[in-house]
Amino acid sequence: MPLRDWPIKRKLTAMLLLISGLVLLVTSAAFVTYQVVTFRQTTLKNLSTLGRVIAANSTASLAFADEADATEILSALRAEPHVVAAGLYDRDGRLFARYPLDLPGDALPAAPERDGYRFELGHVIGLEPVAEMGNPRLGTLYLKSDTKAVSRALWLSAAIGAVVTAVALLAAYVLAGLLQGWISQPILALAETARAVSTQQDYSARAPKLGEDELGALTDAFNQMLGRIEAQQYELQRYATELEQRVGERTHELEERNEELRRNAAKLLAANAELDAFAYSVSHDLRAPLRSIDGFSQVLLEDYRAQLDEAGQDSLRRVRAASQRMGTLIDDLLKLARVTRAEMRAERVDLSGMAQDIVAELQRTTPERPVECAIAPGLEARGDSRLLRVALENLLRNSWKYTGKQSHPQVEFTTVEANGDRVFVVRDNGAGFDMQYADKLFGVFQRLHSAAEFEGTGVGLATVRRIISRHGGRIWAEGAVDRGATFSFTL
Amino acid sequence: MAFLKAIAVLTSALALVQGSRAPEYQVKAVFLFNFAQFVEWHAPADAEARRAVVIGILGDDPFGAILDATLRGERLGARPFEVRRYRQWRDIDGCEILFISRSERDQIGEIVTGLRNRPILTVSDTDDFARRGGMIQLVTDKGRIRLRINLDAAQAANLTISSKLLRVAEIVRSSKR
Repeated sequence: MPLRDWPIKRKLTAMLLLISGLVLLVTSAAFVTYQVVTFRQTTLKNLSTLGRVIAANSTASLAFADEADATEILSALRAEPHVVAAGLYDRDGRLFARYPLDLPGDALPAAPERDGYRFELGHVIGLEPVAEMGNPRLGTLYLKSDTKAVSRALWLSAAIGAVVTAVALLAAYVLAGLLQGWISQPILALAETARAVSTQQDYSARAPKLGEDELGALTDAFNQMLGRIEAQQYELQRYATELEQRVGERTHELEERNEELRRNAAKLLAANAELDAFAYSVSHDLRAPLRSIDGFSQVLLEDYRAQLDEAGQDSLRRVRAASQRMGTLIDDLLKLARVTRAEMRAERVDLSGMAQDIVAELQRTTPERPVECAIAPGLEARGDSRLLRVALENLLRNSWKYTGKQSHPQVEFTTVEANGDRVFVVRDNGAGFDMQYADKLFGVFQRLHSAAEFEGTGVGLATVRRIISRHGGRIWAEGAVDRGATFSFTL
Repeated sequence: MAFLKAIAVLTSALALVQGSRAPEYQVKAVFLFNFAQFVEWHAPADAEARRAVVIGILGDDPFGAILDATLRGERLGARPFEVRRYRQWRDIDGCEILFISRSERDQIGEIVTGLRNRPILTVSDTDDFARRGGMIQLVTDKGRIRLRINLDAAQAANLTISSKLLRVAEIVRSSKR
């Protein structure tokens, strides 16, 4: 596991151990170094003391060339097992006596070197001048001691240092294990809480606070944050519930209203049908008495002309005109009703041909009118040919009629594309109308011109609209007074 | 230059004449010098301190130039050495060490008696010197020189001989006659 992924407990323990280990190591090294240096100095001092004693004792031996005595003095070195070799040199530098006796000749230097005590090649070497106090030098004592004592001291102090280090490290490990909790415990508690929060989405959890230090402050801040999140979540949930409830209410309301509308529509349809049936029967039933009124008025005018003065005859003529007009009205109304009730047959209809026929018929009935007609060729649609002929005839006849006061009357039947729909257009340059009343054009009995100006019953455009509606289309009008009118419809 | 050369030739010729005796007396000359280091005279300090240490030779001088050469430049503490030669023991004045030549072997008893109680370390290589009341006798044994010391004689002259010196010596007493 890479170091940075270690759990915080282990990191803390490792840190403490590393620091205390380093301190212990340095301390132990200092201890061992001090021990060794001290022991080396002591060793040198001891050897020099020994050297001085031996040298003082061997003055007479050298002065009076007594090798036996010198050898005996040197043999006292047996008491000091570290001394591995010793030699006495006379004042001319010749070897005079040696220790131990079986020492090979080359174990001692041929001649003494400079005086003093020193470490040399793993041994302690000592050269002590031999002289009777304050007197000329008699010779030199050579001592050679092994460094086993020094190395033993080194090993001993190293062992002590190692043991102390080990014990202290163990203690540090135990203490670190006990004390790292101070720091790791709050962090672990925090991490545990954070995990619980993120996995269970439980914002009501709170990290336990274990002290007033920075970690305590962190825990507080964390808990506050959790509290805020919890409050916000609660709020959000409340809003969501409220919203849902409101949507439910609105939906319910709308459904109710829809239901009401549906009911109303059905009612309206029923009423409309009833009204149509009523209008039809009324119109139908009205025709018989009307025909009687007209017929008997004709009888009066023809058979009793002599008994009637001019005023009476005129009145009767007016009665006839009025009843004939009423008959036309009734016919139109019946036509409208029929349009509404008629069966629909869908087929391909040649609108261009149909318009040509209608225009030809109009030209035949009023040859004196010089109307310029432009009918686009090849216009076709799908629908009921009988009803579409009624609608197209009404529109063209209207144009024909309202261009009556125009010196160069023009009528046009064509098609344009608008918003992807095919729109059929009947346009003229006639009397036109005020756009203010555009919505009234298609109402039954709604007329924008007087009968004296342009004759009509006010049922034609209503009939047209009903036919277009039954084909699922739409019709609308644009125009201006004396600028002509444009009727557009889709199918 | 020629003069110096003549002296050098002369001394080497002298050494050749003396032959085998030369190493023996060379050693004995060193011994005489060394005795001074191991013996205490207990003289009144002031008067003696500045004086030279006198090594006297009584009778025929067997050392020739050797003793003077050995002692040249040497000092005992601050005191230099001086060699004096005596014909008669009665001529001996201030003298620390007296070497009695073999030429005086017949008068040993007289000399030792005459010098008794005087702080003079008597040394000789005559036979039986120590037993006859001399202090230190140099004995040649198998080519080596051994010491024989009459401690009583030394003590009688109020001389203290270092224990170190005693250790390398054979201690004897005066023979009763």
